[in-house]
Amino acid sequence: MGQLKTRYVMTEQQKMMVFILSMSLFGMATMVSELLPELKFGLVEFKVEYFLFIPLSLAILFHPLHAAVGAALGRIIFGEIMLGQFEALGEIESFLGLVLALYVAGIIVRDPSNKKMVGFAALLAVVIDQFISMGVDIGKVWIGVEEFEAVPGLIESIVAIEGFAFLNDVLFSGILFAMIPTMYLVPKLYGKIEPLLGMKPKTKDLNIPISDIITPNFMVGAAVIAVVAFVAEAFSESEFAPSFEWAFAVENEILFMMISLIVASLISILIIWKILSNRENRKTTN
Amino acid sequence: MDITKKLQGFISVEQLKIEVLNAAYGNTDTTIAKLDSRTIFMWYVFYAIFPWLTHSWIVLTGMFLMLVAMIYLARVSYLLLFLFVFGLVGQGSMVLGVSLFFGGNLTTILPLLMFELKLAIISLAGLIAFSTMEPEKLSDGLLKIGVPAQVSFSISYGYRMLPTLIEEYHHVFMSFRLRGKAPDQHGLLYWRTVLYFMTLIVKSFYPLMLSSAKRARTTVESLESRGSLYSFKNPAVKKVKLGYMKFTYKDGLFGLFNLLYVIMLFMLAVALH
Repeated sequence: MGQLKTRYVMTEQQKMMVFILSMSLFGMATMVSELLPELKFGLVEFKVEYFLFIPLSLAILFHPLHAAVGAALGRIIFGEIMLGQFEALGEIESFLGLVLALYVAGIIVRDPSNKKMVGFAALLAVVIDQFISMGVDIGKVWIGVEEFEAVPGLIESIVAIEGFAFLNDVLFSGILFAMIPTMYLVPKLYGKIEPLLGMKPKTKDLNIPISDIITPNFMVGAAVIAVVAFVAEAFSESEFAPSFEWAFAVENEILFMMISLIVASLISILIIWKILSNRENRKTTN
Repeated sequence: MDITKKLQGFISVEQLKIEVLNAAYGNTDTTIAKLDSRTIFMWYVFYAIFPWLTHSWIVLTGMFLMLVAMIYLARVSYLLLFLFVFGLVGQGSMVLGVSLFFGGNLTTILPLLMFELKLAIISLAGLIAFSTMEPEKLSDGLLKIGVPAQVSFSISYGYRMLPTLIEEYHHVFMSFRLRGKAPDQHGLLYWRTVLYFMTLIVKSFYPLMLSSAKRARTTVESLESRGSLYSFKNPAVKKVKLGYMKFTYKDGLFGLFNLLYVIMLFMLAVALH
């Protein structure tokens, strides 16, 4: 652990720089990628899969955790909430998956000028990210969603879609749009971008045993993340979700209540509009 | 295969930039934008979580109609709306098509449609909430509900920076195109052209990363010179900074109205069942 700690001695300000940088760049990139057309050959889909090479390069070059969290947050806010593609609970899993993938990729690369290592880390990140999302997607249908079991063909179709999407994402998008660009960018940026943020580049002769990376804390963290991600995702679609549909047997009373509530809400609309307009009128006359 | 045309169409980024700026700064005088940001957050969280807790068509449809009305009131940008509809339809038809292919029938469609409706509600709520708040308001609101100041600042910074970044990326991309040479032949299935554009898309990020690194440093240094990193953690400073935020009668009425509306939807669902 000692070496890991001395490896990234960054001030608060530098951490914030990395966070801001990763978030704004990846946010912008996700937005662009939402607008890019997809290129499809049959079912095989070539897509610039969420421009993963940007946060990957940053995670490899700087502090992996800050770059990872920044990127995941940037994607959610600018690529999803702002464009109306947000799925709330279901996004927790993709958020945590992305953070984990980028963090692992960032921490296993010791020497950013080593292209092979960088390429391996990039591919590993894609595999981790996509594998988590595939596992959660299949699992929630398999275990959680009873409603879907009654529907013929759905489980097979989900497994087929997800398995295919996983292979497709790793083999095509992963290699073409994550591995190759990262291998191009990281050695080019190495030593150039760090001085711009006022820090020293990662040194090459740093040797960290694997046991430093895979600590008990890390494994517990990964397990917790996986469980949280799965529960959140399954909860978002399952029948286990507490249902707020009350089984009232009374009919007339309900109808009366209903009507009175409709009236109440209508009145409240009127009040809102009246007070708002009154106030604005008063302001303009004053 | 008009992929090159589509790519070139995307490159007319001017419109996108304007829309993003609009989304960030444009709608400050609407009824919804006058609410306290905490009210908007609560409202959003409600609409983001609640659809998962129900299976009633009536409740979901009612919520959807409410949101459509609010979209109108909040004046959400047309481009964002278009993207939203486009994404929803695309995703829905993909899942639907495959499940029909594997032998599902019309009963498959209903739960899937409900799922899509839930997603639509959540996404619309997000669109409304985020496009009615300008960056400062968003940042202060997040700070008030206990998000670390670094994060809330970064979000509003990103919001502000996005149009600039898009413009800069556009410039870099264009200068690459000006200096470079497009392939003479398109090749089989346009692969040369596609490869050319894809390479440019990736390459253009290199200068952009360097320049935004510089900008990030300038930002953090100017923050530091104003003592922001210290004041981020100081509760007294926070109190002064956020002192202007108050719940007014508007927030109360808005909350009450939404609550009544949802209760009414449930009553309707029960009565009509």
